[in-house]
Amino acid sequence: MTAVTRRRLIAGAASVAALAALVILLFPLYAVVVASFETNSQLFGASHYSFWPATWTLSNYSVVLSQQGSHVLSSLIVGAGTTLLTLAIAVPAAHALARYRFRVTAILVGSLLVAQILPSIVIANSLFLVYHRLHLLNSYPGLILADASYAVPFGTLVLRAFMLGLPRDVLAAARVDGASEWLTFTRVVLPMARSAVITVALFAFLNGWGDFIFALTLLNGNTFEPVTLSIYTYIGEFSQNWGEAMALAVFAVLPAAMLLIAAQRYIAAGLTVGSVKG
Amino acid sequence: MSQTSAPAQQATPSGTKTALPRAARPRLYRALRWAFLLPALAYLIFAFAIPIIYNLVLSFEQTSPATISHLTAPWAGLSNYTTTLKDPTADSAIIRTFSFTVLSLLFQFIIGFALALLFNLRFPLRRFARSLILVPWLLPLLVTGTIFKFLFQLEAGAVNQILSDLHLITQPIGFELSPSWAYVTVLITNIWIGVPFFTVLLYSALQDVPPDLLDAARIDGAGAWRRLTKVTLPIIRPVIEVVFVLGFVFTIKVFDVVIGLTNGGPANSTQLIATWAYNLSFQEFEYGAGAAMNTVLLLIALVAAPLYIWLNRQTLRGDSL
Repeated sequence: MTAVTRRRLIAGAASVAALAALVILLFPLYAVVVASFETNSQLFGASHYSFWPATWTLSNYSVVLSQQGSHVLSSLIVGAGTTLLTLAIAVPAAHALARYRFRVTAILVGSLLVAQILPSIVIANSLFLVYHRLHLLNSYPGLILADASYAVPFGTLVLRAFMLGLPRDVLAAARVDGASEWLTFTRVVLPMARSAVITVALFAFLNGWGDFIFALTLLNGNTFEPVTLSIYTYIGEFSQNWGEAMALAVFAVLPAAMLLIAAQRYIAAGLTVGSVKG
Repeated sequence: MSQTSAPAQQATPSGTKTALPRAARPRLYRALRWAFLLPALAYLIFAFAIPIIYNLVLSFEQTSPATISHLTAPWAGLSNYTTTLKDPTADSAIIRTFSFTVLSLLFQFIIGFALALLFNLRFPLRRFARSLILVPWLLPLLVTGTIFKFLFQLEAGAVNQILSDLHLITQPIGFELSPSWAYVTVLITNIWIGVPFFTVLLYSALQDVPPDLLDAARIDGAGAWRRLTKVTLPIIRPVIEVVFVLGFVFTIKVFDVVIGLTNGGPANSTQLIATWAYNLSFQEFEYGAGAAMNTVLLLIALVAAPLYIWLNRQTLRGDSL
């Protein structure tokens, strides 16, 4: 066997293996999309599962579009709010931690690392009682403040790691030119850190959009309800409304799917930089 | 650092020329530096320090729905801990959290590493496949739990259909009805979620293995297995450590998936520490007992803290970057 045929053989086998892995990994998503076009009697209590249903319906989508619009809007507000809050906190903090040497830098970075580790349920339990006193339950500001607890430590660490890698002579040049600290930050550092800022913004949005634990604990559903919470109430003790739940689930996964298509390199960067370079 | 020594220190590396204007206003500069940090400090106190301290306080208090309008409740000593931990449900939730974490990490690593090695080969679909594989990681976790609840249904469930089409079973399995099967479904779902994370990180580590080293080993007559165990694995070991520590941290706090998939049932057979703490606080309104359970979770999570900080030791001061 020549080296070329051997290489071709490996490439062929690898393609087949990758395809098989993708089919297994992505089948759940295929199932959701198909189920969203089926009636509830096809999905629940039926005698068998059909990989390709005989009849298709748009009724789930018409119900979801007429009833769930406000919930999708709520999730968008929470996602956008989480993004803005995260960036407002993390970007300047990352700049300070990367550029200046505080006595407490190591302690602060260590605290951010520990904050990343803390389980949300611990925070939710306390925040529920604190919010009860502060009248922040069932409010957008309250939920957004809680939701940012995923992204603020992550975002600060990712941005700092990126900013530490910026060329020092550019920053020094800005200083020689007499640019103030604030101007250096907004005119020099921010444009150079643009891609890291986008990465952090995407993750913050996905965190706010996909949050369930804080919505479950800090909202009672009477004022507003994000999509995750309404999917949960669709499939509860008293209802098994699979068709509509699956159509709503399609909406819930749309941002992730779109971001993956439009901004894949930022997502991959967030995964690797955020974890390995801390 | 005293007020007077600050400008002097900064003046040394950059020379007196540029340091002069700053020396005139050290206080203002220092205040400005802290101003960048202030929102983050305030947020860390609000979202992390206060909840954790308050959780600890709560765990020593006698709470009830009536006490939630007050910030404090009567002192309860250790009774929340003793009664909560005496409950067999809590004990099995703690043990289950451990077995769940170990099994999740094991399978996520095996599958993730296999996929990383696969993507490291050259084949036409490689880039496309690598981007699609990220999908499970990005979905809202509750949605993932709900999707798998649908797939693992008894009737009209896709998993039962596939298993019977392959003639592996004759009767559909009651995944939601049997405690041990319910545990397996939560485990499989969590593995599905974590595989992309392991794959992407291990793949990026494999990319950094110098090809020359592998070629040299090949010329020396090392087979594929020996090249993997003697060259590749030692080189990517730091990344493997990070992946396991982060995977541990992600897995012990798993919550949404369980709630979406089984709600902790049947008969509390899929309760983990996090879901049981939620159950105590928000279903039974025993905030003190929930807080005690949360403290247990917190202590386990904090085991990872020194490890995680040590793995990130180089970035702590930013020296090496």
